[in-house]
Amino acid sequence: MRVSSTLVFWLALTATLMTGSPGLAARPEPADHWAFQPMKEVVPPWNSESADWAETEIDLFILEKLEEAELKPAPPADARTLLRRIRYGLHGLPPEAEDIEAFSADWEREGPAALERWIDRYLASPRYGEAWGRHWLDVARYADSKGYVYAREERFFIHAWVYRDWVIRALNEGMPFDRFLLLQIAADQTAPPDSPDLAAMGFLTLGRRFIGVTHDIIDDRIDVVTRGTMALTVQCARCHDHKYDPVTQRDYYALYGVFHQDRDRLVRLGAAPDERLTDASIEYRERSQKLAETMRARREEAAARLRARVADYLDAQFALEQYPEEGFDQILTENDLIPASVRRWRDYLERSAVHFDPLFAPWHALAGLEEEGFAGRAETALAALLEEKGDRLNPGVAQAFATPPRSRREAAEIYGRLFAEAEAAGPEAGGEAAAGLRGFLFDPHSPATVPDTGIVNNELFFPTAICEELWKLQGELDRWLIQDEGAAPHAVIVASGEVEPDPRIFERGDPSRLGPATPRSFPAFLSDVRAKPFTAGKERREMAEAIVDPENPLTARVIVNRVWQRHFGVGLVRTASDFGLRSAPPSHPDLLDWLARKLIEDGWDLKALHRSILRSALYRQASAGNPAAEEKDPGNRWLGRHPVRRLGFEELRDSLLFVTGELEFKLGGRPEEVFGPENRRRSVYGLVDRQFLPGVFRTFDFANPDEHVARRFETTAPQQALFLLNHRFTADRAAVLGASGVVQTEDRETRDWVRALYGRVLQRAPTPEEEDAARDFLAAAPEEGTEEAPDPWVYGVGRYDEDEDRVSGFEALPYFNGESWQGGPEWPDPAWGWARLTAAGGHPGNDRDHAVIRRWIAPEDGVVEVRGVVRGEGEPGDGVRAFVVSSREGLLASAAVHRSEAPLEAVGVVLRAGDTLDFVTDCGEILNSDEFSWSPVVTMLESERRWKAREDFGAGTARSRLGARAQLAQVLLLSNEFVFLD
Amino acid sequence: MQTDRRHVGRERISRRDFLTRSGLGFGALGLAGVCSAADGVSEGRHFAPRAKRVVHFFLNGGPSHVDTFDPKPALSRYAGQTLPGEYLRTERKTGAAFPSPFAFRRYGQSGLEISDAFGRTAGHADDIAVIRSMYAQVPNHEPSLMLMNCGNSVQARPSLGSWVWYGLGSENRNLPGFVALCPGGYPIKEAENWQAGFLPGVYQGTYVDSQHREVSQLIENIRSPHAAASDQRRQLDLLQRLNRMHLERRERNALVEARIESFELAFRMQIEAGDAFDLDQEPLEVRELYGSHVHGRQTLIARRLLERGVRFVQLWHGAGQPWDHHENIEGNLGAHAREVDQPIAALMTDLKQRGMFDDTLILWGGEFGRTPTVELDNGGKSKLGRDHNHYGFSVWLAGGGIRGGQSYGATDEFGFSAAENPVSVHDLHATILHCLGLDHERLTFRHAGRDHRLTDVSGRVLRELVG
Repeated sequence: MRVSSTLVFWLALTATLMTGSPGLAARPEPADHWAFQPMKEVVPPWNSESADWAETEIDLFILEKLEEAELKPAPPADARTLLRRIRYGLHGLPPEAEDIEAFSADWEREGPAALERWIDRYLASPRYGEAWGRHWLDVARYADSKGYVYAREERFFIHAWVYRDWVIRALNEGMPFDRFLLLQIAADQTAPPDSPDLAAMGFLTLGRRFIGVTHDIIDDRIDVVTRGTMALTVQCARCHDHKYDPVTQRDYYALYGVFHQDRDRLVRLGAAPDERLTDASIEYRERSQKLAETMRARREEAAARLRARVADYLDAQFALEQYPEEGFDQILTENDLIPASVRRWRDYLERSAVHFDPLFAPWHALAGLEEEGFAGRAETALAALLEEKGDRLNPGVAQAFATPPRSRREAAEIYGRLFAEAEAAGPEAGGEAAAGLRGFLFDPHSPATVPDTGIVNNELFFPTAICEELWKLQGELDRWLIQDEGAAPHAVIVASGEVEPDPRIFERGDPSRLGPATPRSFPAFLSDVRAKPFTAGKERREMAEAIVDPENPLTARVIVNRVWQRHFGVGLVRTASDFGLRSAPPSHPDLLDWLARKLIEDGWDLKALHRSILRSALYRQASAGNPAAEEKDPGNRWLGRHPVRRLGFEELRDSLLFVTGELEFKLGGRPEEVFGPENRRRSVYGLVDRQFLPGVFRTFDFANPDEHVARRFETTAPQQALFLLNHRFTADRAAVLGASGVVQTEDRETRDWVRALYGRVLQRAPTPEEEDAARDFLAAAPEEGTEEAPDPWVYGVGRYDEDEDRVSGFEALPYFNGESWQGGPEWPDPAWGWARLTAAGGHPGNDRDHAVIRRWIAPEDGVVEVRGVVRGEGEPGDGVRAFVVSSREGLLASAAVHRSEAPLEAVGVVLRAGDTLDFVTDCGEILNSDEFSWSPVVTMLESERRWKAREDFGAGTARSRLGARAQLAQVLLLSNEFVFLD
Repeated sequence: MQTDRRHVGRERISRRDFLTRSGLGFGALGLAGVCSAADGVSEGRHFAPRAKRVVHFFLNGGPSHVDTFDPKPALSRYAGQTLPGEYLRTERKTGAAFPSPFAFRRYGQSGLEISDAFGRTAGHADDIAVIRSMYAQVPNHEPSLMLMNCGNSVQARPSLGSWVWYGLGSENRNLPGFVALCPGGYPIKEAENWQAGFLPGVYQGTYVDSQHREVSQLIENIRSPHAAASDQRRQLDLLQRLNRMHLERRERNALVEARIESFELAFRMQIEAGDAFDLDQEPLEVRELYGSHVHGRQTLIARRLLERGVRFVQLWHGAGQPWDHHENIEGNLGAHAREVDQPIAALMTDLKQRGMFDDTLILWGGEFGRTPTVELDNGGKSKLGRDHNHYGFSVWLAGGGIRGGQSYGATDEFGFSAAENPVSVHDLHATILHCLGLDHERLTFRHAGRDHRLTDVSGRVLRELVG
């Protein structure tokens, strides 16, 4: 058993935590399920004995449950704790120390009125939208990149940051939440054509691109909409009816059909285009013209190929299984039938079979006939058709089918010939018959054309090479918009394309197995909200309206619960994005309904919701000091105290920059690498590259940007500690704090500095005990700029001079990247070449004057012993030469190694303090694959002191080493008090 | 939902809650490990395991089965001719039957047939169980990689390695439980291949470019560029002093205490983690056994990681898709096989010598196989290579819990598609989990409204393979 005592303690703890967790025993019927019932009209319970504790209605609901559990609320938190809680809760930042003083004074003087004023002040600040915008971005599975794209499209989105800024702005402006949702789902139909609100549709268009596979893109959109707004796991019904919830596969495809009609479209936002002809605008125009012209030409060529092979496309309808669905990619050439066009023919013919089609009526009459005895059956079928409706047929078609074909293939060929002749005759010739045939061929909805959309929506209609060509041009345009700081912001919206027939269910989710059709509509079990199918052309808008309909039992409850979860760690419903039958019932059902109804009554005003929560006595409770609640309600289901929580990733990074005074408050704009050396902006503006998400995001439980996230994990892992200890970002913050204020080391100044440090980092004064600890730490530290034990190792380049048996021209390598000493951040470095030394070995510089040298400087007099093995690793080239050279005695040992190894040892080497031992490696005759490993060990015989190159390797006396004050400051930044919020 | 009710009650969820919130160390405790702590079941798995760890040779690109582990003499009879019957759709066009340029021989007491391309590995034939009837869904790399690694070709789902780590925990708190080694860069699909999906991020595989050898490549921020160890020790002493004062002012809180512990753990890791990558510590004869090529090195690193308690090591052949042999199969497949044949054989020998073979599960394979027919270029000319083939291909298992010296299932006469006892990727995953003592139907995680498993709603343990 590998379980430590701490863990056993946790097990016991978590086992008891479960008192308040979902029970799976009783399974309610869908109709009775609380979340699908209308929200109750509730009167706050005024009957409580301790109602004088209550400040707001919320408190009455809380008290009722506490009393049922025979508990009392915790005492109130102190002013500092409260203000920290509020500012983190609304802004994701700590308050300034001065604010705490001001607030404490106000609080003492005015009580709750002061509280309200401070809450309002924070709600009015743009920092609010930045913090809460980020919470919404978790819901919206926000990322700046598209996921895996192969080498096709540009991998970054053009419009992601524009959506992010819209979210922040909408929240800051107090946009009603129903409007907030409506715009994100249907701004194309609810906002003016050039409105900046079109940016809202990034909600739909920012998902992973799934290498362009439509079914998967739509599945992602269904999920973000249904789980994000209504906590419904509709996605579960893609392949079969939902196992638990009343969501049917029919419901899934009813929504699938809504999205399938859509086309993604890039639109420029805001002001009219700048007409000045800057280089940039000319470049942009040229790129977009080139794309447009190429697209036009390729579409025409593709259409010509489609027209030339009508017979083959018709014939292909009898072997549809040979034309695989999207997601099964074949390399297609211009000679191949295009599967997407085969399916477009299929869909066209399916529609045209429903009513009389003057061109394809004979086809429909023949297509269903068996091949065996075809000729006879065809004769009968055509005779009936001609007799009954012959006069309504296209005369050319009627004539061609006067002689019945002998096979299905022949029928297809008749059409092929008819269309070819009509086209060949030229635009005016051939009378009504030919005009009818040409009308079909050139109609934009005809399967003999390629849809007139961007490459994002019509790529499947091209042979592979052309598809790649068009994506390349699109990518060049996209990159321009992404990189050009002056480019206007753009949105990617979805807009309705051509009206399609009712969507068909995919049996078992397999698009090649079409099941029955279903009209586009809202999930049937929500028929109280909307029963009849959506109106053609307004489907998405009506879906959005049904979502935000005040009668919808889910939407208001879901957002209220999300806000609650954020303020109290756990929602009233624990599963914030699953309100289905398997979810646990709410801890305070009446409160949830009361809050949801109030939200709607308040005009979906989220700031009002925050206000009513933050004003409550509930919110003001301390996190400790209620032993009875600790004991009886360890999971804190009844909220008899405030939960302790750890800062999230963004809060932690922003706080580190905030307490040093470095945080920059610039609103909006293009994303930057979150730990880029110059980036001092809030984390919400950091680049989220979902495909190459830096490890630090995962380490700190950032929301997985591939899917909608209901709640972040809260893990504790040593990687977090490693980041805070060793990453340059924290060290730089500590250095800023270390350098702040007075520099003298006099007692008094030190005390002042420590106090100032506590004020900045923790917004309070240190206790006497803490002052002692800090003073001890500083007093015991080595003096600034000196070492406790000077590092004897130095890393550089130079030349081994064979005539003199000495090293000449030693020069220290200037750059250390945490792993190796080298010329600069790039390797090879323009000036220093390939020279590099690592703990285990390294690589020599480009010629013999730039051998790499690991130099050991004797710290004392004595006799030393040197051991080690040098190994040449690379296969090509001639290997490396290695030398051990004493500054006193010259060459001690040497070897040449190439895919081999050799011991390099010396004993009885007499040295005086300050003498050097050089471990030299050069490139031999040729510079090629000269990587080597060699980490010698030096032992001083008398004192038995030992220096191991590998273990000692590091920054040594590098300039970046933190001074004592900075080290102390770093400790405060690492402290539990800094990252846990009471 | 096919979950075992006895294990999905309240306690199980509390453990899950515990795991998702704590993750102390590198996911030191797995789901099953936690079960054991409370249930007192030996080793804590669903049932007695044979294997404790997995090493997965991923020959990315799609290794040809008919040139390696699935002999098809019928191809010689049809050499240069069109095969009878209809060709199945693959990514590109293929033409006539293309007999393997590699000779197959029988090896060991079992007489298992293996081609000369893996002549050294064949020395362990009696330990190898080849599945010759694998099939996947589509002939494209990306979805097939996702299927083989994560059990789902479309949606972002946790990888096999992440599930195993989550299920069993790691035996070494100073190293990640799942390491993916690939020389020279990422395979296609990049980090999605070892993703944690909806599991906590800590269970994601750690990628290491095995061209590097520094521990700092293995674990981010493992070395400080700005502080000596002595500085840090003093800092941590102060930190713990301050944290204790902070703790005294409050009530007991597991997260707060865990964070205190995590700093000590991190400090120890800095000292200890480097060893795993230090091949200098291996005797020369061991290094020679594996060979000096990068694949020899990365396989030896794998053994050092497994030895230290890493649960799952995945060895990718290289960046991109090196085993994608559309042309010149003889030269290209031959060269790539030479790079890994010696290290694979060496690892098996080495594990046996160390007594680790019986509890280490070895998996060899790619994302699909290749056509028995020759690939044609656009002009219809032979490229002497093979196209992708997901209808039938081979993988093999050896070591922990596997009965070797056998083949299971078969492709058709030509090797085009799985014909006898077809094995899905879910079946393979179920079998691997079984060897580790995990029931694939009970290793679940609640996400988006339901309990998800690696094998989704299917999967059958191949009991014939399990010794």
